[in-house]
Amino acid sequence: MPYQHAQDNWFAAIIIAIIALAVLINIARAKAGAQLYIRRIAGLDAIDEAIGRSTEMGRPVTMIPGLTAFGVAAVQALTIFKYITKQIAKFATPMRLLTADATVYAVAQEAIQDAYNEAGRPDLYDPDSVRFLSDRQFAFASGVAGLIQRERVAANFMFGEFYAESLIFAETGNIVGAIQIAGTVSFTQVPFFVAACDYTIIGDEFYATSAYLSREPVLLGSMVGQDIAKFLFACTVGVGAIAATVLGTDHPFIKLLGQPGGWEPFVEFVSKTLFGGK
Amino acid sequence: MWRSVWQVDTSTTAGIIAMVLIVLGAFLLMLGLIPLLQALPPRGRRVLIALITFFAGAFFAAEFFLPLTKDNENWLTPGVQPAQNVLQIIGSLALGLGTYGLIRLHLRNVVQRRAQWGYSVVLLISFLTMAFFSIWNTLAAKNLLPKNSVLVRGFEILFDYTLVQLDAAMFSIIAFYIYSAAYRAFRVRSIEAGILMFTAMIIMIGIMPLGAAISSWMGLPSEVPKDAHPFSLESILYALSLPEIANWILIKLNAPVQRAIEFGVGIGGLAMAIRLWLSLERGIT
Amino acid sequence: MQTRQPAVWDRMLAIDRRILYLLLFVNIVVFLLLPVQLKAVISPPARKFYNAIEKLQTGDLVMVSSNWSASTIAENKPQLEAVLHHLMRKKVRFTIMSVEAQARDLSYRIAQRIAKEYGYEYGKDWAHLGFYVNLIVAIKGMTTDLPATVKQDVEGTPVSQLEVLKGVRTLADYKMVIDVTPSGTMPLWVSYRPKGLIVLFCPTSVMAAEAYTFLDSGQVEGMLTGAKGAQEYEQLLKIKGQGAIFANCIQFSHVLIILTILLGNIAMFLSRHAREG
Repeated sequence: MPYQHAQDNWFAAIIIAIIALAVLINIARAKAGAQLYIRRIAGLDAIDEAIGRSTEMGRPVTMIPGLTAFGVAAVQALTIFKYITKQIAKFATPMRLLTADATVYAVAQEAIQDAYNEAGRPDLYDPDSVRFLSDRQFAFASGVAGLIQRERVAANFMFGEFYAESLIFAETGNIVGAIQIAGTVSFTQVPFFVAACDYTIIGDEFYATSAYLSREPVLLGSMVGQDIAKFLFACTVGVGAIAATVLGTDHPFIKLLGQPGGWEPFVEFVSKTLFGGK
Repeated sequence: MWRSVWQVDTSTTAGIIAMVLIVLGAFLLMLGLIPLLQALPPRGRRVLIALITFFAGAFFAAEFFLPLTKDNENWLTPGVQPAQNVLQIIGSLALGLGTYGLIRLHLRNVVQRRAQWGYSVVLLISFLTMAFFSIWNTLAAKNLLPKNSVLVRGFEILFDYTLVQLDAAMFSIIAFYIYSAAYRAFRVRSIEAGILMFTAMIIMIGIMPLGAAISSWMGLPSEVPKDAHPFSLESILYALSLPEIANWILIKLNAPVQRAIEFGVGIGGLAMAIRLWLSLERGIT
Repeated sequence: MQTRQPAVWDRMLAIDRRILYLLLFVNIVVFLLLPVQLKAVISPPARKFYNAIEKLQTGDLVMVSSNWSASTIAENKPQLEAVLHHLMRKKVRFTIMSVEAQARDLSYRIAQRIAKEYGYEYGKDWAHLGFYVNLIVAIKGMTTDLPATVKQDVEGTPVSQLEVLKGVRTLADYKMVIDVTPSGTMPLWVSYRPKGLIVLFCPTSVMAAEAYTFLDSGQVEGMLTGAKGAQEYEQLLKIKGQGAIFANCIQFSHVLIILTILLGNIAMFLSRHAREG
């Protein structure tokens, strides 16, 4: 039986609903005016410094959303790049946004054009600054590396999903002396970015970036909701570890927490315990 | 005529006619929709987009949560495949757009003799040559074009001897880059940097046969009997061997940290998806 | 004021990266050619991988998802070859599928070559189901209705004429899926597979780090980590393959990297000492 519906594991479906609820409640709280705190993220504070450096040196800024297919990570990456473009527009610094996915390219064109419009500099928008290079991983990598080398970029922003090509971008940027800020949800590429970039944003800091940069109530509220959900996860892990130690791993409660088919045995166990019967 | 609500049976004449009418109708609807969208004020357009986004997302959410009937399906399940086919078709159209943008940029570079236009010439010639042989090869496989030695040799040179080797070469560059990056990054400037370097070295040697060889030269056992006491001298010495330490770091340190990060990423992705679905995300929309 | 001549440690800290690249290149070439080879210690994930395939019975059906291209040939090719050797030794039926265009041709040629050694007949004992654009769509489709999703094999033969898939309705009729890949396809197999389908994983070394959580929870039964994993598997199967050669070369590259890093740190400390002095 395929595990593709809520009915296959009601416990997981309930968890998803609780997370969604936590996010929505905190968005409502933020909209109602609650003051929400977000800690400092050094890499994001350095964005303005990197743009300033590019402007002084008269060299372009590159923005790379990686091999991200159009989805949640790509939207987040483009949101960050839109913010960066608005900052760039103030100083008329040249920029290049290089994509490996055609859908991301189409959306990026609109996003960047909007950014220049919102910054009040629609004249600065150059359609050729947003480019689709190739959807093949290493053709894209060689195109990006070549462009970084030829144009001697001064700042390189890499946000999105990356695979093996991440180090090619980062090290090439290092060779030309660019200041580099990277953020990725790809766990395996984090060490390469840490080794080669000036600042690295890890894990869900990537999804917090738009909230951090814009300070919009909706986004801040969503972040608080995420943190509450993470806290609930941590509590579940703690409770599960203690329960597994005390009750053993065959207990229906442990199976509920740890196995896709654990819902029915747990419901049976609860009804037997509460209502007796066979 | 209908296999289900979501699929027309095109093996019948009535089904084919229905399919043609649906395609034409959709085409006319799109033609009518474009001037309507342009006539709408920006606020109205935003509402329309939010509604379409909501119903599109609601389809998948409802399909996941609705109870299942026999055959592990609910009435929305047959629509999932066609919906995903639509996504693939949109992706294919976007690929055409991306390719057009690429060609336009480089053609303009050549025509206007912009800086480094020579690279654009190389790109255009490579693009056209690869496309020519690839299309010829695909059509020859379907017996729509003749297959001759020029095609076979040309395809071989371009794909087997050029593309495949260039792919491998670009990946191989990573080995050299990681060497220079590691040489630069692994400096003991602080306690944390020292721990990072030490751990990296243990893992690099420990996971390889050399780690087992070094542990063996140091007199540490390479295996321990299954019934050995965990705190016996033999077990302790075995636990101090490089492969065991490397394994311990990967399973007991790396895996829990990775789990924690992936929980955060998963929840962050879910929150972002909810914001996009409900059009609460103002970033690029 | 006299400027200090750069000492040897200052030159080491500012070493041209091309010298490092040359050192690594020479190291790799030397150890590729030298017949030095150390016996591998079988890691627990590789042992579990081997045991999982050993438990298969003659005639069981396995899906091999081969998604690598020429860029990762050094790691994924020895893995695929060793896996196919084991499957054919166990007289297990298998089908191969790919979500990477190059992978389709590469895996097909490798399977054809190894099948000849074991007398495996195409269409009867094994088949290649071709290239699929989207893995999630392919897995979901095969989980619901495999013949309707697959339609034909790589040679254009309709699925109904393939003896190896006779009576196969869905992916649940398979015992196991082996994912040989340099990309993040394994979580998709784990998420969308039918219940009871065992997942084995053959990643490149870089992608292996993300699999330990799945191994720990039992969602992935076993794993071969890059060329080293291929070497371990070749050792278990007692076959000669490229995994041992490449793993050997890689480990001595690690030694070079570690030595250089240690020298770099010594140079840093000496330079700092000289400046403070």
